[in-house]
Amino acid sequence: MSESRDDKDLPQGTRRKWLKASALTLAGAGLYGVAPFYGPWKTNRAWAQSAQKKPLVIGLTMDTSGQYAASGADERLGAMMAIKEFNDKGGVLGRSIEAIHMDTETTPATGTRIAERMITRNEAAFLVGAVHSGVANAISQVAQKYGCVYLNTNSSSPTEAGKDCHRVKFVWDGNGSNFSHAIVKNAMKVSGKNWLLLTNDYVWGHTTSKATRAIIEANGGRVVDELLVPQNTRDFAAYLLKIQQIKPDVVATAVGGDDIKALRQQVVQLKMNKSPAWINNQQDWPDIYGLGPDAIFGVFGTNWYWRLDLPGVKEFVAAYQKQYPGIAIRTPGNVYYNGYMATRELLRAVERAGTSNNLAVIKELENLKVSARERMQHYDAYMNPATHQLQQTIYMASYNDTPAEKDDIYKILAQAQPQDVEDKDAPGACKLEPLAATPSYEQ
Amino acid sequence: MLQLLPHLLNGVSLGLLFALIALGFMLIVGVMETINLAHGSLFALGMYVAIFIVTPRFGWLPELQAAYVALPLGTRYAVALLLAPVVVGVFGMLLELCMRRTYGKDPLYGLLLTFGAALVIEEAIRAVWGSAEKQLAVPEAISGAFLLGDLIWSRYRFFAAGFACLMIGLLWFFLEKTPYGAVVKAGAHDSEMVRALGINLSRLRLFVFALGVGLAAIAGVVMAPIWGVRPQVGVDAVVPAFLIIVLGGVGSLWGAVLAGLLVGLAVGLTGAYASEWSLLSMYLLFIAVVTFRSRGLFGKKSVLDT
Repeated sequence: MSESRDDKDLPQGTRRKWLKASALTLAGAGLYGVAPFYGPWKTNRAWAQSAQKKPLVIGLTMDTSGQYAASGADERLGAMMAIKEFNDKGGVLGRSIEAIHMDTETTPATGTRIAERMITRNEAAFLVGAVHSGVANAISQVAQKYGCVYLNTNSSSPTEAGKDCHRVKFVWDGNGSNFSHAIVKNAMKVSGKNWLLLTNDYVWGHTTSKATRAIIEANGGRVVDELLVPQNTRDFAAYLLKIQQIKPDVVATAVGGDDIKALRQQVVQLKMNKSPAWINNQQDWPDIYGLGPDAIFGVFGTNWYWRLDLPGVKEFVAAYQKQYPGIAIRTPGNVYYNGYMATRELLRAVERAGTSNNLAVIKELENLKVSARERMQHYDAYMNPATHQLQQTIYMASYNDTPAEKDDIYKILAQAQPQDVEDKDAPGACKLEPLAATPSYEQ
Repeated sequence: MLQLLPHLLNGVSLGLLFALIALGFMLIVGVMETINLAHGSLFALGMYVAIFIVTPRFGWLPELQAAYVALPLGTRYAVALLLAPVVVGVFGMLLELCMRRTYGKDPLYGLLLTFGAALVIEEAIRAVWGSAEKQLAVPEAISGAFLLGDLIWSRYRFFAAGFACLMIGLLWFFLEKTPYGAVVKAGAHDSEMVRALGINLSRLRLFVFALGVGLAAIAGVVMAPIWGVRPQVGVDAVVPAFLIIVLGGVGSLWGAVLAGLLVGLAVGLTGAYASEWSLLSMYLLFIAVVTFRSRGLFGKKSVLDT
């Protein structure tokens, strides 16, 4: 096999050697600390001499590849919609708003690199976006170092507003603990006390299942087993066989992204969607959209649905469809909603503060209260100043077998008030850095 | 033991599917010594072409389309199994034509070209079919579940494993029992001698590449109902495919099959008994084998080993 290549003569010129040598030299120099000489680059535009004010740059740290590619794309549309609405009325504080996006690849290391780059090179005033809790945590560590306000739009690990909280970070989605509180007690009454946990093997999965386990055990239930699902698992046959052997009453999943899509399809193939009972802690709209009625089984949590009979919802949906005609996901879901709401409230906070200075904006966001009408939810929402997580209405849903129209795939079973589903452990675990210890940052 | 048996059976079926995914990759690496990083994207393209063939949606020729859709699902599925690899194989031929400039040069050029092609194909899929999840409909006869012992099994999974066996058998027959297979193997062993015997090496490579890519597409069609269909699904295929051919020994058909089975058993058994290790287990197996046998299980001894 060693002779199989069509061995034409390799070019022997010195240019390649020179290039290789140069590359090696540069790499070597970088290792010895010369690299920082080349950066970080700063774009020093002459805004002071211009009649126009410097645009406010918002860095969108959202996945377009990896496990949460679909959700990353969806939340980006939400953030872009909020930015467009502000730009249509003249921007904020007389400044137009520019969005820059970089793919965080559902990878924490990429999140760190991109956050660093957006702050130091792109002069981002704020960072917005994340679905994966590891990525959100990585971005927020960089943001805290510089003092740049960061919005975690869709990552719902309890650690985000718990042990990994930061003064500059604000969390906009309901977390695993909120959803567990809303769903588990009721499911125990209906389906039984022997539970099996199916847990994505990373921080969101672990912390969400931990919260679920605590509620099960506090209510006299029993966790018969917990199976960990590595990220990017595509074949669930071994898990489904094991579940059949254990025979739990309920399977509670904390599995997200492409993993949950594959799991749902394989559960349906085995016709296990009716028994045992399935509980999915939180179901993101892009992960369920287009799967077909059979694959949407069990009870799951969400913080918004496009057919909620509340003021403003119809207009919100119409605006989405007008702005994004022909898009594959024809109706907005919770991930888009969170991207939109977080960005809108950030820009409103900047307006109220009258400055883009981080410390002023942080104070505004810490005291944030949003009426139910403004949130298009059933109850008023408020930011918990001790954890920086938005406390909001949590909905329990299942598949809608009597849809009123296309895409009407959820049946909202109940809604829980924010204070009833509060994550009681978060305030104890969250140690926010003092405001005085957070660097002042303004772009 | 009775508890273990279902997991052994599951591991074998999973292993056959892994082997099926790796077959096309093995052929291209073995004959052309080119690592085709676009293998996964072509696997995904096979899925999408099959969806188009099973449920075509285009504006023109509505009567013809309606008549075709009226055919039984089984017929359309069979057409997809036959036609999707041909369509993707033609695509592969175009890719091979582009690759010719890289032959005889640093292998990095081929790697970069196929990596670029993988990105282009994935984005093209997004542009044509969108990013949302899609499903490939399968005939009633091979879908659903059945009871074996007191456990429910997927009928489609057994069909897929059986189909993988058939494809492995056909490829073995082609390579070992036909004169064309002999030429392909000779091309892998000593391309200069093959050329000296008057065989058109360029055409041979074009054919092998198309065959390898066609096999990737077949694997895509078969795996679509199990893994689901999304533009980035190719990444899930290319990594195990690469691992399996190195584990089995580059260019060895039975090496790839055995490696696929071992990987399937490792993933299946750890999935049941140490689930957090289920994905990592294939890499641990890989490290364990390659540490002691660097050329893989059935790989030929190279001059470096002496």
